[in-house]
Amino acid sequence: MEDITLKDLWKAQDEKLDRSMKLNLYLLESMQKQKAESKLNSLARFKGWAVVLGILWVAFLGLLIYGNQLQNLYFTVSVGAIMLFNIAAVIIYIKHIAIIKSLDYSQSITGTQEKLSKLQTSTFNLRFLLLQTPFYTSFFWSGEMISGMGPKFWLISVPITLLFTLLAIWLYRNLTLENMNKKWVRGLINSTPEHTSVFKAMDFLKEIEEFKKG
Amino acid sequence: MTTQNNKEEFLKRIEEHKLIIYKICNSYCRNRYDRADLAQEISYQLWKSFNHFNGAVKFSTWMYRVALNVAITFYRKTRTGEAIIQLAEPDTEIEDKKTDTAELEKNISALQKFINELKELDKALMILYLEEKSYSEIAEILGITETNVATRISRIKDKLKQKFSNIK
Repeated sequence: MEDITLKDLWKAQDEKLDRSMKLNLYLLESMQKQKAESKLNSLARFKGWAVVLGILWVAFLGLLIYGNQLQNLYFTVSVGAIMLFNIAAVIIYIKHIAIIKSLDYSQSITGTQEKLSKLQTSTFNLRFLLLQTPFYTSFFWSGEMISGMGPKFWLISVPITLLFTLLAIWLYRNLTLENMNKKWVRGLINSTPEHTSVFKAMDFLKEIEEFKKG
Repeated sequence: MTTQNNKEEFLKRIEEHKLIIYKICNSYCRNRYDRADLAQEISYQLWKSFNHFNGAVKFSTWMYRVALNVAITFYRKTRTGEAIIQLAEPDTEIEDKKTDTAELEKNISALQKFINELKELDKALMILYLEEKSYSEIAEILGITETNVATRISRIKDKLKQKFSNIK
């Protein structure tokens, strides 16, 4: 089929287009009010609440450290580490909100679609939070506890923390977008309510990459 | 805040270019209810973005960007189960008349079917190409290089030729 014919056919379909859809342009203001409840807005609101809760949690942890006055090094280090992880999470959520607010459909198609898909896969960016779990098993340690428990401390408490550390590192390294073809990773994602959109977004990100390469 | 003048200007421009909305809706949605929803969503997003339109690009370029971005996002949200609707519902209401135009209608229908089978981004690319946009404008709308535009168009055209030759 020649080039000109393709374009001619495209033009010929103009008359046959479905024009039954009405553009209710005169209802734009009321549409604007309805659309204030769009998915992106609710996502931004959800992340906004997460930021507020995150800040409160970080403040609470800060108060605990301040209250402890470095009396217990295990407590200070563990709670301090948890606090740093949560500060990082709050920063990432603030960045997400900034991306949502900066989304502009009048920008290039690949750029806008890439931003949208990355937002949907952003759950993966927070997987570093897994690394804080070992600190939840060590914050209550103290010199008295270690000497009081004797060998039990080395046989029970330390292995538990080590196990959590290894598990957290392993999950962090393996729970990646690149490993999405693995059954257990898909299984884990499948257990989250937003899994379908995450899979679709990941596939689309690959498509965008290929499209940009040519 | 958008003034009344702004709104009138917007309505005038959209009226002049509304064929763009119709074409994109027809290309991305096979179900007429989805088409109506998409047309409404595009109108809304155009209105929302209109305040930021500063004339740096042509109005039609700006409009294609917004409309295609909305269509692709909409398509990805509503894609589940759509294939069934696609098969059950004809592309447009082309009657199977035994007239001289039957061949033309068959070809239009085939073209629509082939375009519909393309991936979202390739579909956007082909719509812009068939709308006779220049390679530089297509590159600007899509955010890729002109060389990439040329390569992909040539590849898709080859596929279309192949498909057309198969139905003859």
